[in-house]
Amino acid sequence: MGRSLTTLLTALLVACTPTAALWPLPQSLTTGTDALVLSKNFNIRLSMHNAPKDLQDAVSRTEYYLRHDNLGRLLVGRGSSDAGAIKAAKQLSALTVTLESGATTVRSVAQEAMDDIDSRDEKYALTVPSDGTPATLSANSTLGLFRGLTTFSQLFYEYDGVIYAPDTPVQIEDWPAYPYRGFMLDTARNYYSVADIKRTLDAMSWVKINTFHWHVVDSQSFPIEVPGFMELSQKGAYAPDFVYTTSDVQDIISYAGERGIDVVVEIDTPGHTAVIGESHPEHIVCFHASPWSNTNLTILLISYSCNLTEPPSGQLRFANETTVSFTTSLLSAVAKMFPSKLFSTGGDELHASCYDDDAETQAILSSTGQTLEQALSSFTQTTHGALEKMGKTPVVWEEMVLDHNVTLSNNTVVMVWISSKNVEAVAEKGFRIVHAASDYFYLDCGAGGWVGDNPLGNSWCEPFKTWQKSYTFNPTANLTDAQSQLILGGQHLLWSEQSSPHNLDPATWPRAASSAELFWSGPTGNGTAANGRSVDTALPRLHDIAFRMTNRGIAAIALQPMWCALRPGACDLTA
Amino acid sequence: MALRGTFGALALVVACILPTGVVSLWPIPTALETGTTPLTLAPYFNFEVAVPGAPADLIEAVAQAKYYLETDKLGRLVVGRGSNDTLALKGAKSLSSLKLALTEGAKVDSISAESVKPLGTRSEEYILTIPEDGSPATLTANSTLGLYRGLTTFGQLWYYYGGETYTLTSPIDITDAPAYPFRGFALDTSRNFFPITDLTRTLDAMSWVKINTFHWHITDSQSFPLMVAQYPELAINGAYSAEEMYSESDVQYIVAYAAARGIDVLLEIDTPGHTAIIGTTYPDYVACFDASPWATYANEPPAGQLRFALPEVMNFTASLLSSVAKTLPSYYFSTGGDELNTNCYTDDYPTQQQLNATGWTLNDALNIFTETTHGALIAEGKTPIVWEEMVLDWNLTLSNETIVMVWISSEDAAAVAEKGYRIVQAPSNYFYLDCGAGEWLGDDPTGNSWCDPFKTWSEAYTFDPLANLTEAQYELVLGGEQLLWAEQSGPQNLDPIVWPRAASSAEIFWSAQQPGGAPLNVTEALPRLQDIRYRMVQRGLNPIQLQPQWCALRPDACDLYA
Repeated sequence: MGRSLTTLLTALLVACTPTAALWPLPQSLTTGTDALVLSKNFNIRLSMHNAPKDLQDAVSRTEYYLRHDNLGRLLVGRGSSDAGAIKAAKQLSALTVTLESGATTVRSVAQEAMDDIDSRDEKYALTVPSDGTPATLSANSTLGLFRGLTTFSQLFYEYDGVIYAPDTPVQIEDWPAYPYRGFMLDTARNYYSVADIKRTLDAMSWVKINTFHWHVVDSQSFPIEVPGFMELSQKGAYAPDFVYTTSDVQDIISYAGERGIDVVVEIDTPGHTAVIGESHPEHIVCFHASPWSNTNLTILLISYSCNLTEPPSGQLRFANETTVSFTTSLLSAVAKMFPSKLFSTGGDELHASCYDDDAETQAILSSTGQTLEQALSSFTQTTHGALEKMGKTPVVWEEMVLDHNVTLSNNTVVMVWISSKNVEAVAEKGFRIVHAASDYFYLDCGAGGWVGDNPLGNSWCEPFKTWQKSYTFNPTANLTDAQSQLILGGQHLLWSEQSSPHNLDPATWPRAASSAELFWSGPTGNGTAANGRSVDTALPRLHDIAFRMTNRGIAAIALQPMWCALRPGACDLTA
Repeated sequence: MALRGTFGALALVVACILPTGVVSLWPIPTALETGTTPLTLAPYFNFEVAVPGAPADLIEAVAQAKYYLETDKLGRLVVGRGSNDTLALKGAKSLSSLKLALTEGAKVDSISAESVKPLGTRSEEYILTIPEDGSPATLTANSTLGLYRGLTTFGQLWYYYGGETYTLTSPIDITDAPAYPFRGFALDTSRNFFPITDLTRTLDAMSWVKINTFHWHITDSQSFPLMVAQYPELAINGAYSAEEMYSESDVQYIVAYAAARGIDVLLEIDTPGHTAIIGTTYPDYVACFDASPWATYANEPPAGQLRFALPEVMNFTASLLSSVAKTLPSYYFSTGGDELNTNCYTDDYPTQQQLNATGWTLNDALNIFTETTHGALIAEGKTPIVWEEMVLDWNLTLSNETIVMVWISSEDAAAVAEKGYRIVQAPSNYFYLDCGAGEWLGDDPTGNSWCDPFKTWSEAYTFDPLANLTEAQYELVLGGEQLLWAEQSGPQNLDPIVWPRAASSAEIFWSAQQPGGAPLNVTEALPRLQDIRYRMVQRGLNPIQLQPQWCALRPDACDLYA
């Protein structure tokens, strides 16, 4: 008897919980209990003059999703229990979209998406009455309207040919907790087609990710065509058709911008550059040196647990003035291709031992009386200086501030990747931070060793990072209030040693949505967030967005048996 | 300078080694001799089927082989993808035909019929000869199934560059036969559903690496997607939806599709555990149905197991299993038997009442249940297959013919062998494809995969099928399989999570050793595995990348000590 009472109570609780399965969860959300049917004549009305083309396109896409998502609710019966409510429901015939701003010129979503990270406005308000009167969406920016359209499309389900929202009226006021919400893709270890990247950008936009961190090149391949440096991709791409042409790049930037996403490109320097040696051997030290692990042996031994370096070896001869000018011109040429204010120069995993054996570097150091670190600092100042002159803010990996003694602009943004434990040290140095910690956000972890002849080898960042693990990340752990202001946001990352178009979707989705909500809705701490979010209450919503992604053509992985997806909470550890 | 000199010498060695001996067959044949003469495939190349009254599935297999030859267009996995071969191909002879013939006196039967014969009676061996002078190649075998295996091998010999389909290594002489009769792949279609097209795509890929058994774990506690004519409610109430269901004709289609590709379909209806879903139709037959907390009654939610002590449940189960089994051509049928939870029965009134009334122990009841269900299957001419617990954890009277699948640990094979049963190797610590994907239970952010870590292809490849067995016990090992349990899998990640990893065990159990008799070796194997992986991509599969492409194009350059 005791047990059935508990069951009954649980059932009641579930019934009372708002069922709106929005991801990320809005800052303020109230829902009712009436169903509302999308009228056959439903349309979205842009009530503004000169609505930018990309906002109009976003409206069309939203209408398309509403008609074609065909997502049945994730309950036993897939919505059959709503049949009665649907019969009694009013019909929604319109969503009115209004720009609140008094600005005379309406800017495009893309322009607003590429604004400086501090000055973007993503806030919106959405009201969906249950009585059939038009729903309204308003914001101060077209970017905010874009976010609101994304939310609107997640309110609707399909049952028996009817498209409906199960719990109106809905009132939402929403804005992001953090300005930077990213996803990083490495297109150098293995190549991804433009179509793969676009599909990923679509999925990113559905969960309000606003930054595509494009780790476009690395030691293994150089797949981007750079005007003035055509030889790099000609000799460094895996194949002539494995190249992002300048028009591909523009296509990706526009596609992203129209979806509220800024493209932050990374040309990793001075390490991770072996491939440049294919066309410019003069700039690369220990090019393809063998054994590859020897050139990195010291690092390998010291930091095995956090960094297993990989073949091929080869790094820029950064002490050489010619190499400094070459790199500066290269970075500037790439920066010209990307409208974003942010540009990453990388800076991770530099192996000093590589330079010990390089006669040329040693000769330069002795003649100038510089240490390797001083040479690195002057290299960085030159390359960063050129970028800053172009109006770019440099982004670097954490080693540039924690392991090296280089002079960086205070404005520099630092990505913490080795461990979330290193955030505090970066914050102490006063730099702005993007969370990209391998112990929470690396999507490639847990896939076993990939280096050959090593059957007992394991993933260096084992184990696999589940969505739940990422979701419990605390962005301001161990930080003072003042330091907390330095946190711009964070991102999931897919390094591609063991990834390619063949597993891009399942490796990324829906896991990357975990950080999207963390940095939009704010952290959960230990499940005590003001809005009551926790891994427990998040899972049904995450299933929902994952199933919606699948219906929109993304091969998102199954997080659980479908039996669990249809029974919220039933597969919790202690259920 | 000294360093540079070493590099030069190394480059020379590499240049000399690469063009020769590059026969990237998977699984590697028993005996393989190759030359160094380039040979192109003539534009008018054709297959001559010199088999009197050639069965339709052989004709179709030949057409499929021709299609792959024309459409694979696989560039060799070297820097330049074969661009350096152009010179060698100038003036090369052309191969205009491959003649398929059965050995004299061999009975002509369809591939489909040969594929479902009892283990140990199938003939999969073949001889393939490709002369270097352009004269016809020949493929001979004792059965159409052997011819089918040979066609598969023939299709892996060819590369493509600049309009030419070619090999650099003629003449080629292959004599090939499997080391083990059972080479499987297991798929769970209950935790998540896989549409028919996903299964047929997977069967195609299985056939490319000579896997001959599709172990279909079709039902489990979460869903019952199998439509059984005699018990339609099981699927009506137990499938995730009407669309997520295998009709009888779907099953027959899969069985026929598999058999035409040399694959026997071994169906599993797991009993008496892993059956909660039956409770949605027959609540009286299932103990601790959906009981909470599930962890007390099951290894994963939902809880629920057959009340096997009840005579009506024994009869129902025997009837269910035999009604399904008799629709299938395979000689084998798995009744499961893993992870039986005894708490479930301790708290179950009908079970306790029955035990009290009869004076049976739970083990006695299970023994009668198993004798009943297995008896019904044996009466249909089927050999039962069970998971290891049925012989290691329970004291049951099983037919000596019963085949036991070892899954919990590779360490358990010896104990099963000691009991004298035949074994299929399916150990989680080598062959579970789902391991390492993190915790899937909710509300457990620090949880991990129970069988962590991920089993790489190379870890699987080091599995020794005969470890810890006496020579007398060796013949008990029928083979093995890699398995995909689908708690965290669906059509969305089927290809990348299975391929090319499942090819690892395919080679262990086909080849067992290198052609010269040396043990299998991960370093030797990787370039060949990369090759079959890239060929799979050309054929429309989504196998995962094992390494950066930089490594795939430079054999051994990414080895640990390279």
